[in-house]
Amino acid sequence: MAAAPTTPVRSRLVERWLATRWSAWVSPALLLALWSLATWLEWMPEQILVSPLQVLRAAQELAQSGELWDHLGVSLYRLAAGFGLGSIAGLVFGVLLGLSQSLRSYLEPSFHVLRQLPTVALIPLFILVFGIGETFKIFIVLKATFFVVGLAVHDAVRGLSLRYTEVAKIYCFTRWQVVRSIVLPSIAPAVLTGVRIALSRAWMVLVGAELLAAESGLGQMMELGRQMFRLDIVMVGVLLTGVIGFSLDRGFRLLERRLMRWKRS
Amino acid sequence: MALHSIALRARGLLLPAVLLGGWEWASRQGSSAAYVFVSLATLGDTLLRLLASGELWLHVHTSLQRTLSGLGLGAALGIAVGTLMAQSRVADRLIGPLYHSLRQVPLLGLIPLLGLWAGQGDSAKLLVVVLAAFYPTVLNTSEGIRQVEVRLREVGQLLTLGRMQTFTQVLLPGALPSILTGFSHALAFSWLACMGGELLFSAGPGLGAMLLNGETTGQMDQVLLAVLLIALLAFGMNGLFNRLARRWVRGPSV
Repeated sequence: MAAAPTTPVRSRLVERWLATRWSAWVSPALLLALWSLATWLEWMPEQILVSPLQVLRAAQELAQSGELWDHLGVSLYRLAAGFGLGSIAGLVFGVLLGLSQSLRSYLEPSFHVLRQLPTVALIPLFILVFGIGETFKIFIVLKATFFVVGLAVHDAVRGLSLRYTEVAKIYCFTRWQVVRSIVLPSIAPAVLTGVRIALSRAWMVLVGAELLAAESGLGQMMELGRQMFRLDIVMVGVLLTGVIGFSLDRGFRLLERRLMRWKRS
Repeated sequence: MALHSIALRARGLLLPAVLLGGWEWASRQGSSAAYVFVSLATLGDTLLRLLASGELWLHVHTSLQRTLSGLGLGAALGIAVGTLMAQSRVADRLIGPLYHSLRQVPLLGLIPLLGLWAGQGDSAKLLVVVLAAFYPTVLNTSEGIRQVEVRLREVGQLLTLGRMQTFTQVLLPGALPSILTGFSHALAFSWLACMGGELLFSAGPGLGAMLLNGETTGQMDQVLLAVLLIALLAFGMNGLFNRLARRWVRGPSV
């Protein structure tokens, strides 16, 4: 009985804590504190854990020497090229496949088999075929993007209601008009989601490809850091790939919301 | 109608047939082309050779074992953490931010860090797989449990079930479809991560190591075989799991 009154007090405190804005920052702050403490008291050797300050300093050094921007630029360029080409190809392919029954009967089985090929496992194959230059990296990103976008577009087109095409018939639309004013706007939400998933997939594959074979790029920076046992450089790379992955995803979500404003009204 | 569907099936086989034919044709256009387009006969020979030496079996066995043990560990951990996050808002507020920020780092991007922490050996490779299985199960478990209907929970309260009983009798069955979805993502992702880990931590047997070995020595036949096997195994595991899952969950019983 004596313990009973404390429970509401505690739960009220917990409620109040949960309601505050900063409550989500508690665990990251604790982790950072623990990390600093661990390095300060030298709980672990420097090869295993470097202090947050040292990571920050490494980032500053890499940024000042311009090295970081070079790596970042190269990686983003590869991502943009492969992802751009892959999504355009996926969009065109998906619309064609979704609209044409006969094309589907020719291509669909092969498409479904090929899209099962894990992209990461294809990296060595692509290296042998295209060499370790830029072509290989752009193609591997392209592959990762194409199948995800193609599938999302295809599914979205197939899911379109027949009513739309009937309306188009009444208005005597040409095929291109059907695609432009009916198909593309109505599949846009599903496609944007597919494209966003493809983007994060593409980013992961690119980092993997750069880890394995590259002379520049964020992945190569990390790999080099690992070989030299520079944990601080590796940490900078890990944090940066995370931040980029996060911003790309967040940016796409914002874009999705902006483009889909009409849907809410 | 039957004839029509056969014709449709045949159309689907046309492209693979043309591609295979083109491949075989290209393999006979001089040695530089044969380097990339390994002839089907050579591929068959390599397969037989690797099978006979037992090497292929070793690679497949190692990779499968790594994937499945990592999957088991990661999924168990994921279900536990996901349940905790769904049941306790305090735990959710504490674990959530860390989980979501760690998840932003592409898995392969973590590999150099894991390499420095856990070395290049089996434990590092296993860790990658565990992480790959962990992420999707946490998300799907916590969402699945949150969506267990209030009336089912109320029945549990009426029956005065204990915490553990509520979990095993009410929450787990209710969230099972969602958990299984998460598990199927985890399965695909673990296989991928296993390959990535074996490729990037290049030591010891495994299909990923076989790929890398083929690449560095320029043996296209070995690389192709490994890719085909990896895809086939992914396909097989996925199919097997879906069949099992369908037998397990016979739709929502209302």
